[in-house]
Amino acid sequence: MRSCGRSEAIDASTRHPSRIGAGGARRHARTLVLACAAVSLLVVSACSSSGGSGTQNGKQVVTFANWADAEQNTQPGIEAMIKEFEKENPNITVKSLPISYTDIEHQLVLQVQSGNTPDVAELQGNYTFSLQATGALQSLDSYANGSYQQSVIPQELQLGNIDGQLVAIPWTVAPFALWYNKKVMAQAGLDPKPPATWDELLTDLAAIHQKAPKIIAFGTDSTNRTYGLDQNWPVMKSFGGVPFDGKDPSADTQAMKDYLNFMRTVASKGYTPPNKKGGFFRQPAASDQVAFTIDGPYVKGVVQSTSHVSDAQFYQTWGIAPLPSGSDGKHYSAPTDHQLVMFSKAKNKDAAWKFMQFLSTSDYAIQNYTLKYENSLPPLQTPTGEIAKELDNPISQAFKTDVIPTVIRPNWGTAYDNAYSDVMTGVQSAMTSSSSIDSIASHISSALKNDLGG
Amino acid sequence: MTLPALLILALVIGYPIVRAVIISFYHYPLLNPQHNFIGADNYRRLVDDPVFWQSLQNTAIYTGVSVVGAMLMGLVLALATENLQGPWRFFRGVLLTPWAVPVIVVAFLFQFMFEDTGGITNDLLLRLHIIDSAIPWLSSSQWSLAAVIIANIWSQAPFFLLIFTAALGGVPVEVTEAARIDRASTWSMIALIKLPYLRSAAVVGALLMIIQNFNNFPLIWAMTEGGPAYSSTTLVIYVYRLAFTSFNLGYASAIGVVWLVLLLMISAAFIRVLRGKTS
Repeated sequence: MRSCGRSEAIDASTRHPSRIGAGGARRHARTLVLACAAVSLLVVSACSSSGGSGTQNGKQVVTFANWADAEQNTQPGIEAMIKEFEKENPNITVKSLPISYTDIEHQLVLQVQSGNTPDVAELQGNYTFSLQATGALQSLDSYANGSYQQSVIPQELQLGNIDGQLVAIPWTVAPFALWYNKKVMAQAGLDPKPPATWDELLTDLAAIHQKAPKIIAFGTDSTNRTYGLDQNWPVMKSFGGVPFDGKDPSADTQAMKDYLNFMRTVASKGYTPPNKKGGFFRQPAASDQVAFTIDGPYVKGVVQSTSHVSDAQFYQTWGIAPLPSGSDGKHYSAPTDHQLVMFSKAKNKDAAWKFMQFLSTSDYAIQNYTLKYENSLPPLQTPTGEIAKELDNPISQAFKTDVIPTVIRPNWGTAYDNAYSDVMTGVQSAMTSSSSIDSIASHISSALKNDLGG
Repeated sequence: MTLPALLILALVIGYPIVRAVIISFYHYPLLNPQHNFIGADNYRRLVDDPVFWQSLQNTAIYTGVSVVGAMLMGLVLALATENLQGPWRFFRGVLLTPWAVPVIVVAFLFQFMFEDTGGITNDLLLRLHIIDSAIPWLSSSQWSLAAVIIANIWSQAPFFLLIFTAALGGVPVEVTEAARIDRASTWSMIALIKLPYLRSAAVVGALLMIIQNFNNFPLIWAMTEGGPAYSSTTLVIYVYRLAFTSFNLGYASAIGVVWLVLLLMISAAFIRVLRGKTS
């Protein structure tokens, strides 16, 4: 009994060298064909892997790239949304393509390059601008009709407007605010009222750090990523400057130096650990180990899911306020809103728009996803009924009346992708090195000059 | 059988290399469909780019210290466990476990251990009165590279333990017996008898690890993302940032080409050593 054909062939060739010619060539040809087939299969499957839109079993298919389905906390929520949407629209199937928040921007850019985009995607901040720069986004002007536009907060709609064209609609509304822990403030002998200026904040931080040095007095995102710059942009603005304007660096100014000095102070005095993501502070906040933190509305969800406190207990402990102001008394914030975009290659654009509208403004999605899983505000101009009742709490009200009006859009665009690293490494240098602030500001400026090509 | 293999190699390795070399001569932003030929501008920019030089320096320090550190640790462990008998040999198996731990797990493990407050490293050093105040391992420009190197050494020392243990098994018994009869001290036995026999294994292991560490991305990215500032940014981190967060593929490719040339030089040395060993 022979074990296998391959060993037999080897034996035969070894015994009869004269047979190598014809048999060997045949085997080579066969292997070559198999190899080509394997490569073709790989190429074909790679080309079709993230597609899948079009029709399936007579239903229109909408592919949806998002990070909600890639995160443990929001996954059940988004799955329920898709199920409900498919129930309401039996002729449409939504295929979710989970991609982590960190990877979604470059994955979608690469998919644009390979001509293999999804139909709809969840984006945030500069991601929308990067994708718009590739020319792959569908203008939504003809889809977002009068009634949709009237139902949405105009400022939020404006965030998705790039060069006079609506390319993204708001899904969740989540600007940065200053969260303050009233319990920790009271324990440090402070009046539990939020500081209005950065100087007042520094005074409060000193008192808290002296009383409880192990508590993180101030949580702020100083990571080297676009989100890090998003969070710091309104802080810089309140000090009177921004690091670049269009393609012109403006980092070597007194206003930016004041901001860098502030960041150096909070780091060197031990009020905040540098190079941490904003999300890092949410978990310790749940056990009252954070006094102040700059974050979107997400803090509530993490604190409540970790410490199981009731709404009333949460509101008793935590409050929010606009980010402190500089000498001019003006407050600024930046959005962390999740937006929805449609790609111009989408095969079922009407179905895609229907799904986007469902997520953005339907009562079901707002109650069961935006409020419940994202802990964010809906983009509705005038919420009514149950939604209005749910939003009737001190945190949501403060976001709506005090924070949203202070929102500015950072200098997003293709330059932002080139510039964020120059700025944030400068911020990190100010926080962690002993180089002079003057030299750091000058270094940021010269790096920006190179990278912005201004 | 070689032709299909060569074809596949040409497709999956050759093509990306050739393409990277071509792209390195272009201004090639991924967000913009227009890509202009700019000659050697990307290479000229590289010469004046302080971040490139800092990344190269960090790569050299990270690779050099990691390899030397892991090799010394592996050598000490191999010599210490050389004569384990019976069930005690299980101990050697335990020492090899870090090699089996996925790099990403190592990164998170050390990230927790190096936390400024509450991290076990600072806690231990403070309790032993070795330090007076907590070291900001991952949040200071002075310490971040050291922290990732320590994690890397822990992860890679078992590799050297493995190859040195195997090499020690090849030391002829008659040589060690003769040395013992001549009343050689333990130190003389190690320095004059055993180490010369370990030299080949050390060279091969070191060259392999140099190549691996030169390309080590996940450990550094998960622990520090190359920060604070550029203090722990190595070439691979810098290329990733340029290509996938700034979408500057042309310049990233130019650095990739330089990086490839450096690796080819190291690989050539590796092949030369291997050939010398075989002959």
